[in-house]
Amino acid sequence: MSEKAVEIINLVKRFGNFVAVDDISLTIYGGEIFGLLGPNGSGKTTTLLTIATVYKPTSGDVRVYGYSVVSDGDKVRKMVGIAFQESKALGIDKPYDLLLWHAKVVGYSGEEARKVVKDVMEDLGLWEHRNKYFYQLSGGTRKKVEIAKVLIQKPKVAIFDEPTAQVDVVSKHYLWDKIRELKEEGSTIIIATNDMFEAERMCERIAIMYKGKVKAVGTIKELKDLVPLGDTIELELASYADQHVLDMLSRFGKVQGLGNKVIIYVNRGEEVAVDIIDVLRRSGVKVARIMVKEPSLDDVFFYIAGAKLKEEIS
Amino acid sequence: MVCMSSLLKDLRYILLLVQWDLMKIVRRVIFVAMRATWFVIQVVFFGPVIAHMVNARGIGLDVSSYYSFYLLGVYTSILFTITASRAYDIAEEFEEGIIEYQLSLPMNRKILALGRAIGSGIASTLFTLPMFLTVIILAKEFDLLAIVISIVSALIFSIAISGFVLTTTLSIKSSDATDIIMGVLDAILVRLSTIFYPAVILKNIAPYYYAAIINPLSHLADLLRIFYSFEEFREIVIANPEAMASYILGLFIGFTVLAMYVIEKKIEGGGWR
Repeated sequence: MSEKAVEIINLVKRFGNFVAVDDISLTIYGGEIFGLLGPNGSGKTTTLLTIATVYKPTSGDVRVYGYSVVSDGDKVRKMVGIAFQESKALGIDKPYDLLLWHAKVVGYSGEEARKVVKDVMEDLGLWEHRNKYFYQLSGGTRKKVEIAKVLIQKPKVAIFDEPTAQVDVVSKHYLWDKIRELKEEGSTIIIATNDMFEAERMCERIAIMYKGKVKAVGTIKELKDLVPLGDTIELELASYADQHVLDMLSRFGKVQGLGNKVIIYVNRGEEVAVDIIDVLRRSGVKVARIMVKEPSLDDVFFYIAGAKLKEEIS
Repeated sequence: MVCMSSLLKDLRYILLLVQWDLMKIVRRVIFVAMRATWFVIQVVFFGPVIAHMVNARGIGLDVSSYYSFYLLGVYTSILFTITASRAYDIAEEFEEGIIEYQLSLPMNRKILALGRAIGSGIASTLFTLPMFLTVIILAKEFDLLAIVISIVSALIFSIAISGFVLTTTLSIKSSDATDIIMGVLDAILVRLSTIFYPAVILKNIAPYYYAAIINPLSHLADLLRIFYSFEEFREIVIANPEAMASYILGLFIGFTVLAMYVIEKKIEGGGWR
């Protein structure tokens, strides 16, 4: 395991009586892409803004490479860069001016700043928009400007709050590649998202947040394994699946049969599938096709967040 | 060497923050146009009329002297109003999340506060520079040294007010409260000062006079008057020049230190009402 890049220790953040983050603890390791997944209002953004020292913890602490956001804010800020959920820097009206200013603040000299800004803007397809006013830009283009800030900065800890919200599909994949490149260059990446697909495609480990609490942490596989009987094995047999076959398979999990098709709900589907094929082969039942499906992150999320969330949504 | 490098970095941050405020000047064209119109009305219409009225009361200033007195008062007033109006900009920045962006930047919070106060001060002083030059022309006072010292004094005063405005706006975190506080302060401070009336006149009404003595606007206005016409105005200003200069300097140090303390220790994103 690499060194601890970000350590969140019993973090609580209240705004008046509202508890935005409720006693969470997490460790994010150097060089990983870590996801905070949860619905709107689950405390993801508050957590990110606390890591970036924009918010002060009500209690608890966050340590970035050992430095506390409470007592060593200056050192933390030198290591952290954040792309906000909404563009936050419209005070300077044009993207080029803003990014050039940002580049200088994060330490580039004048000539270097102009070069890196041009390179990143061209890379993200922003160059043609460089002298437009912010209000003339689409939501997706503004989002790219926000991400460009972090790509220019190349911080040790790069934070992206819903990086591809409002971004078209092609750009979304391109931005994901750019974020991965940033990781390859040595940054630790933290992404907050409520897009399960984005979380699954991008993140090596995920924390699922709901109502200010961390409900589960792990790799995607570990999280999927939390769902009881969450994997599905679909069998297509060469012959009709009679009761004898169904009874034989029922020891692996919950079984449904329909003609020559059988669906078995199991845990750790890829391991169980090997055993199922072995049992059927020894019994002389021929398998025409087998497919193992994992639960989606949606399933994991609903399982972890609980039935209450389902009720709220419905 | 490390200390020197850190100092240079901090200076660079301050320059960049000053640049930030200057880049925002262009966004306030309508506001400046309104204030410039107010200024023109004051110097072209009210100034001469009041100068004649005051001359008729016989307080020891002839028409042209009182007109000069009045012009420097009007300039101080507009400098204060435009600097105080930074409160609305800061409130807007908070609502747009710009403050959150700046709080995330890799710089010391004290430097952020100092940079923003200096940036706001320079921007406000630059705004009012054409008006100041108009005052010089109308008052027919072309002493270069006096002009330079006046601009420096105005800048120090404006940075002090910016520090106060920054601290207040970011602490109360409310657009409505900011509007009310700044409106009331502008109304009270401009009137309870020597901007339009000399201290010798205010002495007749004790509460008014004592309010004017502690009012920073009185000190800047009278200090500028002394720079241009020491002999003419020294008997009627609120205090001696050293005291007025010390007051402005003290205000500058006090409010910038306060802004640095508050932004470092108290300010965070969110919670805007």
